[in-house]
Amino acid sequence: MSAFRRFASPLDLRRFKDRLATGLITAGGITVLVAILAIGIFLVGETLPLLRLPETLALAKLSPLLFGTFKAALAALLFAVPVALGAAIYSALFMSPRLRSRIKPTMEMMEAVPGVVIGFIAGLVLAPWVERHLLSTLMVIVWLPVSAALIGVLWYRLGHRLRRRLSLASAGLWLVPWLGLMMALALWLAPSLEQLWFGNDLPLWLERHWGLDYTTRNTLIVGIAMGFAVIPSLYSLADDALADVPAALLEGAQALGASRWQSLWRVALPCAGPGLFAALMIGIGRAVGETMIVLMTSANMALVSANPFEGLRSVAAAIAIELPEAAPGSLTYHVLILAALVLFLFTFIVNTLAELVRQRLRRRYRLLGGK
Amino acid sequence: MRTTLRRSTLDHLWPWLCAASLALSLLLLIMLVGLLATRGLGHFWPAPLQEVTLRSGETLAGQPIRETALPAQQGQERLYFTGNQDSDGQRWRWVAVDDIVSTRTPDDVIRLERTPWGDFIGRLVAFESANGHLEGEAAWKELQAQLALPPSARSLATLTLETASGASLMQPLSGVLHAQAPNALSLWEKLNAWQNGLWRFLSEGPRAANTGGGVWPAIFGTVLMVILMSVIVTPFGVLAAIYLNEIAHQGRLTRLVRIGVRNLAGVPSIVYGVFGLGVFVYGIGGSLDEWFFSDTLPSPTFGTGGLLWASLTLALLTLPVVIVATEEGLARIPDAQREGAMALGATRLEMLTRIVLPMATPAMLTGVILAVARAAGEVAPLMLVGVAKLAPQVPLDGDFPYLHLERKFMHLGYHLFDTAFHGEDVQAAIPLIYATAALLVAIVLVLNITAIFLRHHLRRQRGGEC
Repeated sequence: MSAFRRFASPLDLRRFKDRLATGLITAGGITVLVAILAIGIFLVGETLPLLRLPETLALAKLSPLLFGTFKAALAALLFAVPVALGAAIYSALFMSPRLRSRIKPTMEMMEAVPGVVIGFIAGLVLAPWVERHLLSTLMVIVWLPVSAALIGVLWYRLGHRLRRRLSLASAGLWLVPWLGLMMALALWLAPSLEQLWFGNDLPLWLERHWGLDYTTRNTLIVGIAMGFAVIPSLYSLADDALADVPAALLEGAQALGASRWQSLWRVALPCAGPGLFAALMIGIGRAVGETMIVLMTSANMALVSANPFEGLRSVAAAIAIELPEAAPGSLTYHVLILAALVLFLFTFIVNTLAELVRQRLRRRYRLLGGK
Repeated sequence: MRTTLRRSTLDHLWPWLCAASLALSLLLLIMLVGLLATRGLGHFWPAPLQEVTLRSGETLAGQPIRETALPAQQGQERLYFTGNQDSDGQRWRWVAVDDIVSTRTPDDVIRLERTPWGDFIGRLVAFESANGHLEGEAAWKELQAQLALPPSARSLATLTLETASGASLMQPLSGVLHAQAPNALSLWEKLNAWQNGLWRFLSEGPRAANTGGGVWPAIFGTVLMVILMSVIVTPFGVLAAIYLNEIAHQGRLTRLVRIGVRNLAGVPSIVYGVFGLGVFVYGIGGSLDEWFFSDTLPSPTFGTGGLLWASLTLALLTLPVVIVATEEGLARIPDAQREGAMALGATRLEMLTRIVLPMATPAMLTGVILAVARAAGEVAPLMLVGVAKLAPQVPLDGDFPYLHLERKFMHLGYHLFDTAFHGEDVQAAIPLIYATAALLVAIVLVLNITAIFLRHHLRRQRGGEC
């Protein structure tokens, strides 16, 4: 009996400590969740004063910005989606697993490159170069896929031994110098072609024949720079979705006589479709919210034009430029916070959609007997 | 028959296109990193100086930068950095290559870094001090000896300089920071000079409107802000993760909260900046000013962007990263471990601190490192909540209370943006921008590689169990 009493108080102490710690953790956890909730509440609260004003004002200010955001995101995705999807298909289904375990972290590195660095390279180095070599740039964009197809054709003509050494499973690596070579070839040929077709100055030719203005920092540059930034996250998610397709499905399709590409096209892609959709959503979210790249590569003109060689101004860039100067409580301040709210809601909805789709996909794979 | 044939040809080509798109991504990454490394590190290599005589008889000395084609097939033109803004009124010179009669690289052409007027390129004629008048090689020796001393120990002296065009000017020694005769250096000396240049870039403050000097205050500001941020984000992130994974009832609400937290990682950073500006700076900072610093109003103390608000904003921004990584680590720990601890009589606290948290430490560390990497590269929110172009005072000094949370600070990423887009002479600043960008990328990549290795190590250590 006395022994019990001696242990009773340490036990009480332990229980007390346990309760205290649980309380503290709960308090901490809930604080964090409230802080996160506060972002939404703050943004909504600060836009409410706008309701008292005529609505058209905010709309008139926001619409070119929304257009610019949409245009920039579209340009980035036009570049990023084919490249990232292709890379994901290749690395998930054709590449040797050993190589894939190396390549994936490398692509994650690419995701980590800060936007401000990409913006600097694109805005200050690439943009003036492209202005002087517009045709070369366009030629590279057209020529690279063609040269990739060319290597495909050439490969089947290769000797057996060389074919074994340069296998498709490691093509992701040995195509790098090939593409570099092809790029150099296109750059070498372009000046003479420009002279032949466009009188040595393509921007001038464009303006004269099609009435297209050309600004140094334009949508094309934004697309290339932001595409570069979006590729890794798109790639990583798409690769996960494709790699998790149960192997039994693909093997079954091939056993029934489908070629590798057919089994991919008819079985893997439909099966991983929701995962690819989720990847696309995340990519859109990133492209819409990216600030520094657009700020540094787009000339920041609030224009509404479909011309890919003109600048634009996105919502995020407008906030970054104008908000520090706007007096708190002024109309501009509230409009900019409305812009931030729009960004917040858009990315939040898009990401939630992606997450829900991914969860459903995971359940489907489990049912199909995958991991 | 023909359609099947065509389809099978296409079937054989598609994989190649896919492989090429992966190769293209790698190529772009290699090109970016290669460009940054070569241009960023190459800037510190002593560039040869050329002395050029033009067809008009004029002579100029400078560092060749690049060549471009003249319009209408008139040949090439070359850009020279000639310095000497005080005597020439300009620092750059475009010269048509066809106009150049002769090009020499004489050993006695020197390059001086000076404070008011930027670089001087030309010849040293004489070194005049209280100890006498030196000329030629002796003057150059004496100049180098003086520059090796700390600035306070240098003697009062005047240099007589001569530009390539023959103009002569007097330069007090106190304004000279560094002297180099790059054409006369041997390979070993060049390597040494490269090291010194790199060190000065990392350890000095910016000069001459960010076109010279180094980035030390920016490195310092970035590191200090990131440390403060991780001090804030680590406990809260870990607490929230433990709450979500170990304590909260695993129902629909928790699942929704988890999705919400995950999604916050995808919310644009500028939105966090807006929140930081509205709530921290104008809201909390404004109130603090009214209560404690009302004597200095209307000039704000905490009611403007500063170190504290920037750290808090970035902590909020990186919170999801830490929560998600920690939660992943916690979820990997098998329930048997927890149940075993509970069965042996441990309370929940004991189970958490003795069993679960030690196992989840590498995951937490990974989360914090990823958060730091993200914060180090993030610029957009900082534009709203507290970086300065040139912060005269470092936020950490010997005055009480030593750490000045309200001060503005410099940040590598913002320094890069500002120099590149608001600088006076962007052309002159570009090499330094490259170096800054290379430094920033190196920091972020090293942090990320550490996180990747940590995660890899963690997975291997646990084997197939997790």
